[in-house]
Amino acid sequence: MSSKKRKIGILNYIWGGLIVFSLVFALTYDVRDFATDTYRNGQPLPVTVVFPDGYQPDARRQAVSVQLDAAGFGAFYGVDDRPAPAYDGTLIQTDDGRQLRFAQNTSVPEPLAAIRAFTSSRDNDLRGVVGSFPPQADSLVATTVTFDAVRWVKLNAIAEAALDFAETAVTIALSLIGGIALWMGLLQIAEASGILYALIRVTQPLLRPFFPEIPKDHPALGMIVLNLTANMLGLGNAATPLGIKAMQELQTLNTTEDTATNPMVMLLAMNTASVQIVPPVLLVAIMGLQVNQLFFSILITTFLSLVVAISVTKLLGRLKRYRDTDPNRPADEEE
Amino acid sequence: MDILRLIIDYASAFVLPTIIVGFPLYGMYKKVPVYEVFVEGAKEGFNVAVMIIPYLIAILFAIGMFRASGALDFMMQGLRPFLELINFPAEVIPMAIIRPLTGSGSAAIVLDMINEFGEDSLLVKMAATMFGSTETTFYVIAVYFGAVNIKKTRHAVPAGLTADVFAMFVAVYVVMLLFG
Repeated sequence: MSSKKRKIGILNYIWGGLIVFSLVFALTYDVRDFATDTYRNGQPLPVTVVFPDGYQPDARRQAVSVQLDAAGFGAFYGVDDRPAPAYDGTLIQTDDGRQLRFAQNTSVPEPLAAIRAFTSSRDNDLRGVVGSFPPQADSLVATTVTFDAVRWVKLNAIAEAALDFAETAVTIALSLIGGIALWMGLLQIAEASGILYALIRVTQPLLRPFFPEIPKDHPALGMIVLNLTANMLGLGNAATPLGIKAMQELQTLNTTEDTATNPMVMLLAMNTASVQIVPPVLLVAIMGLQVNQLFFSILITTFLSLVVAISVTKLLGRLKRYRDTDPNRPADEEE
Repeated sequence: MDILRLIIDYASAFVLPTIIVGFPLYGMYKKVPVYEVFVEGAKEGFNVAVMIIPYLIAILFAIGMFRASGALDFMMQGLRPFLELINFPAEVIPMAIIRPLTGSGSAAIVLDMINEFGEDSLLVKMAATMFGSTETTFYVIAVYFGAVNIKKTRHAVPAGLTADVFAMFVAVYVVMLLFG
């Protein structure tokens, strides 16, 4: 066995590729930012600070309005975005100097938004150190503000995304518990009461051509019918547990522990191609009634892609590469 | 055609309640100890969900990183000249790439496109058709195969992705045909 050439499945390459290319692209972005000094790190941006109630030299915090010169801003950062005439903000004075904070969550133009996201992601208020300030300030002061340096934005972003999505994955998986448990229970009843076998008898002439490897009257066929039906009707919450149950039934026919059988691949291909004939709930939520217009374009596309998914699965299954890895290949094909 | 729509609407409303009530009802008729059998089956739910976790983490974090890296912009720029040759609008490329990777990500793209191009635009119709007619391939692989500990997926990925790519093109041309 060990002398056999090890074949690495395509998913390994795709997965590795996603990770490696994330790094490559992130580095490219960051090096470009570095080369063009996109964020003008350390350079003071000219601003005008307006004190609506007059400047109070002793106040630790006072509300101000920050004005950015539109043309000057564009020239400073070399961007086309133009700032709003004025932004609310707070001037904070301490012994260490003056800091200007823009109001939380205001919409600011790029690259200020990127600077804020990077330097103050928790509070989401853009903040910078104020430059020269006259001792006898009036209600209006022309000065500068220097933001914290922004470096390696994308590198930080991919690391953060990796952690975020790992967390999301757990949330998603755990949110499935209820649905899976409910359907596992119901299906257990269906099996025990025999209603599942009635369903199988009715539907298997239609289904078995796609899943020739599944023995006649096997419960897996019933689960597959239910999974596909739920999918067709857009009942995603039910379709996933039913699909999982179908996979479990198929696994009982599997001679290996970790390799997909032909019927498993077929079921998966049908599910990924989507057999849904009603627009998905999420799409309805986004588009509202507009989605009705798309009923036929979605139906046609779904149907054609399903046909392709099934054909490709059947054709690929005949390739030597995949015949060799079939867990249920006939014994005479073994070597 | 509206009749077809109506039938499907009714079916999606009635199927679930019918099954959820029907299975236990039929079980009682057949003298099955429905409560006991249900609990026995439902026990598995937790273990299955937990089993999926490593698979889902592997897939989602890689996709999350890829999205955050700005790779999509690069791919869009790279693919644009080729796809424009065959009348494939560049504006829907992000949707075509993101759809097999993440569901929430592609929903966000539809939303962005509505804001940018308007609900009635051909581009939004194409993107929405793509969204509605395919599934999040990698998520389905992680969940379905993860639940039974299948790591060697054989031709599932190539088959799923071929169908996805095909669906993206069909979506564009069908929308052009129906609305163009």
